[in-house]
Amino acid sequence: MLPYLLLSPLVVFIGALSFVPTADTTVEAFFRVMPLNPPNRFIGLGNFRALFADPAITTSWINTAAYVVVGVAASVVLGTAIAVALKQRFRLRGVVLALVILPWALPAVVEAVIWNWIYNPTFGVMNSALHSAHLIGGYHVWLGLDRWLTIVLIEIVQVWQITPLSALIILAALQAIPPDLYEAARVDGAGPLQAFRRISLPLIRPALAVCAVEALVLSLNIFDQVYILNGIAPLGSSVMLQTYVTTFEDLNFGGGYALSLLVTLATAAASMGMLALLYRRTEAA
Amino acid sequence: MAAGGPGERTARALTRAATGPAGRALSRRPARLLGHTVAIVVILLWSLFPIYWALNTSLSTLSGADSTPAHYFPSPLVSDSYRAVFGIGGAGNGISGELGRSLLNSAIESGVAMIVTVVIAILAAYAFARLQFRFKRTIFVSVLATLLLPAYATLIPLYRIMASLSLVNTYLGVILVYVSGFLPLAIWILYNYFNGIPRELEEAAFVDGATPLRALVRVVIPVAAPGIAAAAIISFLLGWAQFLFPLVLTTNLSTQPVTVIVAALNQQRIVPFTLLMACGVLAAAVPGILALILNRFIVEGITTGSVK
Repeated sequence: MLPYLLLSPLVVFIGALSFVPTADTTVEAFFRVMPLNPPNRFIGLGNFRALFADPAITTSWINTAAYVVVGVAASVVLGTAIAVALKQRFRLRGVVLALVILPWALPAVVEAVIWNWIYNPTFGVMNSALHSAHLIGGYHVWLGLDRWLTIVLIEIVQVWQITPLSALIILAALQAIPPDLYEAARVDGAGPLQAFRRISLPLIRPALAVCAVEALVLSLNIFDQVYILNGIAPLGSSVMLQTYVTTFEDLNFGGGYALSLLVTLATAAASMGMLALLYRRTEAA
Repeated sequence: MAAGGPGERTARALTRAATGPAGRALSRRPARLLGHTVAIVVILLWSLFPIYWALNTSLSTLSGADSTPAHYFPSPLVSDSYRAVFGIGGAGNGISGELGRSLLNSAIESGVAMIVTVVIAILAAYAFARLQFRFKRTIFVSVLATLLLPAYATLIPLYRIMASLSLVNTYLGVILVYVSGFLPLAIWILYNYFNGIPRELEEAAFVDGATPLRALVRVVIPVAAPGIAAAAIISFLLGWAQFLFPLVLTTNLSTQPVTVIVAALNQQRIVPFTLLMACGVLAAAVPGILALILNRFIVEGITTGSVK
């Protein structure tokens, strides 16, 4: 009896607030649900057809794909670079490690508000610094004009937040590699770069896979940064933002459910696919 | 914007230069040291500059913050923005009450959610790690599977559930949603931690006639204190950072957390950037300070939570 007693609060919480809602989303995606405009009734694939016909939604899917590509690539590469630099022993390493984690610990909304000020077209420090360095002739409006530039700049804000997580995970994997392997490579005349490619990289592949999947799920879900830096304009809109707008601004709950279901399935498929890909490459290596 | 990138590249270039035919043995070490130092400085700049920039602006006068080119240090350094946020000296312009109250809401919501999450997670993780029972694997796997469930999957139904229970815009509604979201990660962290504790410790207690529950309270929990701290701090930080769920689940200042208020102030477009940055700094202060002090537990929680 004891195990079930210990588990009962967990089962109640996860059951009522994770499983039931997920099932609810799956079912309601096939219903017309408009709280201010009843009746709610079964409409089959009606919600999905409406979603595919809406250009704003299509734009948000393509944008989200761009967020994911930039987010996964940048956070894994940067995370690896930071982990390699932090692997060596040096003075104040503990302090540096604590400071590097800071962006991960702060609320994304607050970070986005700060970066919005950094990107500010008239008084932003990015304009000022690039201008002082003679990299730009005049001040730019960074956000909201060019679609891909807007997406990259918004994703940088998310990468800034999630990279510490990747760096820590990769660092832990690097530290688990026995030092004798590097010693043996050095004796055989391998340089640091070669040692990294031949020893570190294959051995940290599982950690890279974990980081890639985490970054994938987070960037596929990107909302806070887009809400602050892009607003609800279609230009840089993400699928999560469109779900919010469809559901809570247009009050088309059925459409929101359908969109949620599609992204949940896409997340699951993409995570599985990426894991399979990265693990296969581990075996090949 | 590749922060580690340029530093790494410099480091490599320096190493290459130093290992050239001229000074192989002599200059290799200092050059690598220099390269590494440059890399660390670049990493720190990337990690901290935006935070510094918020602080800098919040401590500047409005004309100091709105100057071109930008001033990299507050000149003059003033606390006007913080006084205004807290309504000191009659300078509050509506923000004063809002920010203080929303900070309190954040503290209550993430604090209570943290406590409930950790208590439930300890009980469950102990059962998963130590006890044998039917459907153990099924329950364990399905709980952990929700870790990969995106917010999308549950947002709308949770809103409707809370609306039907009249729990929209209540602390309880927010806390229930947080707990259900944070439980899987807390259980994963604690499960791994409990598994690392030698069973002999509890067996000694069993020999003395203790029940499993007593062994949990007297033996396992004290030994697992660092793991419990990790689960607690990570749950708290997750709670403090929430935005989308409270945006939907809270409707006014009686429950809105600081993230929602900062986003609203940002949207008003009339709040000066000095004030906005002061609000941002205050909203980030609690998680920032906690992360610095409890850093050790966070690193432990993240790494056990992810690699395995």
